[in-house]
Amino acid sequence: MRKSNEKDKSAKEKEIKNNDDDSFCSDEHNNRIDDTTFKWDPLRNIADDPDEVLNIIDSHLTNLEKEYFNGQKDIDENFNKVFSASSVSRREFIQWTALLTSALMLPTIFAPRVARAANILTRTPFIWLDMSDCMGNTEAFLRTAHPTPAEIILNYVSVDYMESIMVPAGYQAEARRDGTIKKYKGKYILVVEGAIPTAMNGKFLTIGAKGKTGLEITKATAKNAGVIIAVGNCASYGGIPAAHPNPTGSVGLSSVTDRQVINIPACPANPVNLVGTLVEYLLVGKSPMLDSLGRPLWAYSGRLHDNCYRRGHFEAGEYVKHWGDDGAKKQYCLYMMGCKGPFTWNNCTVAQYNQDMSFPMRAGHGCIGCSEPAFWDRMTPFEKPNADAKIFMPAVEATADEFGVALFGAAGVGVAAHAIYTGVKKRKNNKDKDKDKDKEKEKDKDDKLNSGDNK
Amino acid sequence: MENANSSESSSDLKVVHRMTVIKRIIHWTLFLSIINQIITGMYIAYPFLIFGITPTQADSPVSGVLNSGETYQAFIMTWMREFHFLGAVLIDVSFFGWLYLAFFSTKEPLYKSFLPFGNKINEMYKMLKHYFTLKNKPKTGKYQDPLNAIIFTFFHILLLLQMATGFQMYVASFTGTSAVGAWWPTMMHICTDWTLLVFGGLTGVTLTHLFITWLIIIFIFYHIYIEIWRSIVWKEGDILIPFGGYKYSRDNLKEDESD
Repeated sequence: MRKSNEKDKSAKEKEIKNNDDDSFCSDEHNNRIDDTTFKWDPLRNIADDPDEVLNIIDSHLTNLEKEYFNGQKDIDENFNKVFSASSVSRREFIQWTALLTSALMLPTIFAPRVARAANILTRTPFIWLDMSDCMGNTEAFLRTAHPTPAEIILNYVSVDYMESIMVPAGYQAEARRDGTIKKYKGKYILVVEGAIPTAMNGKFLTIGAKGKTGLEITKATAKNAGVIIAVGNCASYGGIPAAHPNPTGSVGLSSVTDRQVINIPACPANPVNLVGTLVEYLLVGKSPMLDSLGRPLWAYSGRLHDNCYRRGHFEAGEYVKHWGDDGAKKQYCLYMMGCKGPFTWNNCTVAQYNQDMSFPMRAGHGCIGCSEPAFWDRMTPFEKPNADAKIFMPAVEATADEFGVALFGAAGVGVAAHAIYTGVKKRKNNKDKDKDKDKEKEKDKDDKLNSGDNK
Repeated sequence: MENANSSESSSDLKVVHRMTVIKRIIHWTLFLSIINQIITGMYIAYPFLIFGITPTQADSPVSGVLNSGETYQAFIMTWMREFHFLGAVLIDVSFFGWLYLAFFSTKEPLYKSFLPFGNKINEMYKMLKHYFTLKNKPKTGKYQDPLNAIIFTFFHILLLLQMATGFQMYVASFTGTSAVGAWWPTMMHICTDWTLLVFGGLTGVTLTHLFITWLIIIFIFYHIYIEIWRSIVWKEGDILIPFGGYKYSRDNLKEDESD
């Protein structure tokens, strides 16, 4: 399925290109960046002609810089302003660029270009919509004590509409949003956070002075966006608002728009994944390769279980059995404590959380599978092995083992009953037959009981 | 000779060939690998033995903790998974052998028995009725009786489901390519990705795999019971079929003539 979607992707991209004629890159580039001549595939090989790709990317970046900056001085100043203000040295920024380049599965030659794209990203028009969610992604990105360059870039993006940090309010805010949509039609980056309720025509979520529903706002903004990104599990797949029984009919962003949506799931999403996706979009004017669930392959192609540093203990049969036991102190595998790493695709183990410092397994708790669809329903109970989860079967409230043992017991009782019945019946038949034999020996035996008439 | 038999009582025993060597090999391969799958699969689902030396997880067969030395010496989960995969391969090969023989066997194509056409359904009910009344034993001659055929078919559908869900879990650790080429994970994705939609993600697939295991365990016990029951009640040596390939029959096997 993954494979097939990759193929679909190129078709989708063409669609998008047709949808917004004045897209990010200027028209001449639109013509040059063509699927036939320009193969963008970071996972396997970059392109047939690497020099051509670099040229395209360079001129693409130059065009973007012309559009959003006033000359080379502005570019340099922006760089310094953004990073020195957050006491990040140029050296640290370059280090981070190298990290992001390798996380994006690009060769080192792309590192300076990634830096340029990161710089451009701070000036790119940006609309950040909050739907039904907990603002967890915003909090994770903006409220960091010691932000990494990824978080700094997200702090400095030229946000035209973001409810949690914008100054305008009420009608002003809405005017700002509508203005951005008009002014930067087909150019702005749309990031949506939170699930979109669709029940009752979306009335479960009304936003702003005019009381528009989240459904309306999302559809209207997504229509003219340059690139659409669903950040967090709620925006990607509905997440917790869409958990069973989902009275609000919440769905992920891709269910309400025809446009291609890049999903950056997780709870909260890793800033590196968001910035990396945006940087790649700025580099080539295309969305990255996506898997079958709409996630960028460079970030979500690895299964956590396969990249976990505790995997050796899993293979060795060394498990944590209770919180705080000796196995926990020795960092044994958390499989028995309900780690859902075997079911989860994400890059937590590579690009870590909390200022690139940690991720659940390192902190001593199993993965809860937050980058997978419907994780609140499918990955629970979080702290028990998956075998202890209740099976989805109508009128059955049991684990697979409980229900299986119950069925097995019922079958055993049935078998025992049948065996006893057979024994009793056979004895009775034999007695009857003996009587019959005594009484009427000459009678035809064909209609007699077959069972037990061995002579 | 048949006519002579039918005119007489149905008491004289005849030897009936029921399972060819290939079928017997398939039967016992399935038996051994399924036992292997149940043990190793249960371990993978819920590791009941824990290796490694820690003071609080001391040696105790009760709590399932065994000392095996250093981490690198244990690798019990690796071996369990390895044998699970080997068993899976054996089951798959046997399954496809069975599937071929079910349609193209020169001796006894199973589809003739399990396809619910003509009087097969009726014969099935007769057999069920016989199980509960011990009266009117249906004729069990050269061919499998329809009730068994249908139950065995259902069992093989369970095996097919196990294969689909199992390969879906197996392909999860592939990243687009493999040692034998990209076709292998691609094929598995094509064949098994529907399970993700039907059973609700990889966790649902896992639970389904575990639950079907229980259905198969139940089948195994039913199967052994009913064959022993037949051997005792019918006294035709049904239990011998998978060993020697032959059973006895005291029925008037009229259908032999029509064949």
